[in-house]
Amino acid sequence: MNKLYQAKHELWLKILFASFAINDKQIKRELYNFATIEFRHMKWVGEAVLKAGDDYNYDRTQMLHKSQSVFEILRTLIVELKETAALYKEDILSQRMITDETYMIIHIASLLEKRENDAPITAFNMARKYGNKTLPQAQIDALTLFLFEESYKEYELILIYAYMQARTTNLTHFTVFQDLIDESHFHLYSFGEMMAKMGILALPRELHARSYIIQDIKKFVLDGIAEEEAAKEMCKTLSGAIEDEDLKRFFDFVNYQESYHIELMKKLL
Amino acid sequence: MFKDVKMPEGMDPQVLEHLMNPKNYGKLEDASGVGVAVDEKTGEYVIFYIKTQEKILQDLRFATNGCQDTVVVGSMFSEMIKGDVIENGKAAIAKMEKKLGSLTPKQRVCTDMVLEAFVASLINRENLLKGAKEEVHILKMQESCEVEETEHE
Repeated sequence: MNKLYQAKHELWLKILFASFAINDKQIKRELYNFATIEFRHMKWVGEAVLKAGDDYNYDRTQMLHKSQSVFEILRTLIVELKETAALYKEDILSQRMITDETYMIIHIASLLEKRENDAPITAFNMARKYGNKTLPQAQIDALTLFLFEESYKEYELILIYAYMQARTTNLTHFTVFQDLIDESHFHLYSFGEMMAKMGILALPRELHARSYIIQDIKKFVLDGIAEEEAAKEMCKTLSGAIEDEDLKRFFDFVNYQESYHIELMKKLL
Repeated sequence: MFKDVKMPEGMDPQVLEHLMNPKNYGKLEDASGVGVAVDEKTGEYVIFYIKTQEKILQDLRFATNGCQDTVVVGSMFSEMIKGDVIENGKAAIAKMEKKLGSLTPKQRVCTDMVLEAFVASLINRENLLKGAKEEVHILKMQESCEVEETEHE
């Protein structure tokens, strides 16, 4: 399968999870923006692969390296960006990716010049504390499970919808897939940030082809609606169980978004 | 062998580690047997790959679209049987099933799905050894993950 596609997939995740792991708001925002650019690269590479009559899959090999400092993360990203560039060909898309990543490398290198940008990474310390909030252990446990469950689901949905979007010729479906992808990006971002805050940041596990090669779209949508219903229930349960008002509001907010996802998915039937 | 197995409610560091970094997760390209256990009602599945040398489970992988309970059990179970002889792997299933009594109905189905996928991979290996052309052996789950948690006693 396509090596460049896999490399772009891995690079998107590396930059995205680096943005979650780093606490500095400015660096976090910049890296998140870079990650969204990488996701678009991945999509464009996928389109080019399919146009050439080839195919791609969602295999990946990387693990999330539990870096100790911001500088360690940034240095690793520069290495990864340079390694990916070696896979580019001589075409317009590659030129675009090279110019984007040259900018990213220069920008990240500039961050490394300021010692004040370095700080310890707390995203992997397994402290399982939510900022300065004091939640009972049962609520922390429920929140932990929810975040693992849903961060994987959002990653899975992004990839499944992207896979289907790349292969549909139906304009309504294309638009619905895009809306659902955008929504899942936001949820993955929200949950990734929460996991980092709790010291339990982890990469979602790899998707198996059985999950994203959909044979029966009707069954997929109906199962997906049932899953959205289950996610809504989880949000409702968490919102009801968690005593903190900010978190309660957040889970209610997510719950209402899931309701609209169901409406969007119905358009696929 | 199973005294350390704890489900996510316990949320001890071992479980958390399996959640953050599931062991033996993924697929094997040169598997000796591939098995799937599927819950047709929800579409959830576990796929189990085994690579054997003689009667040793030399390497194995699993993957799932299921819940975190399934991931934790798959990670723990695969760690337990990796490198062991096939017969001990089969015995591990019985021991694991004995443990199911302390789980909620949903966790029991999730655990069963992992074990059934392993069984399916053994069946696929046997079938291949007998000369069958079977890419993967599929077992359909009798019970669904949608089981009501209130059934738990």
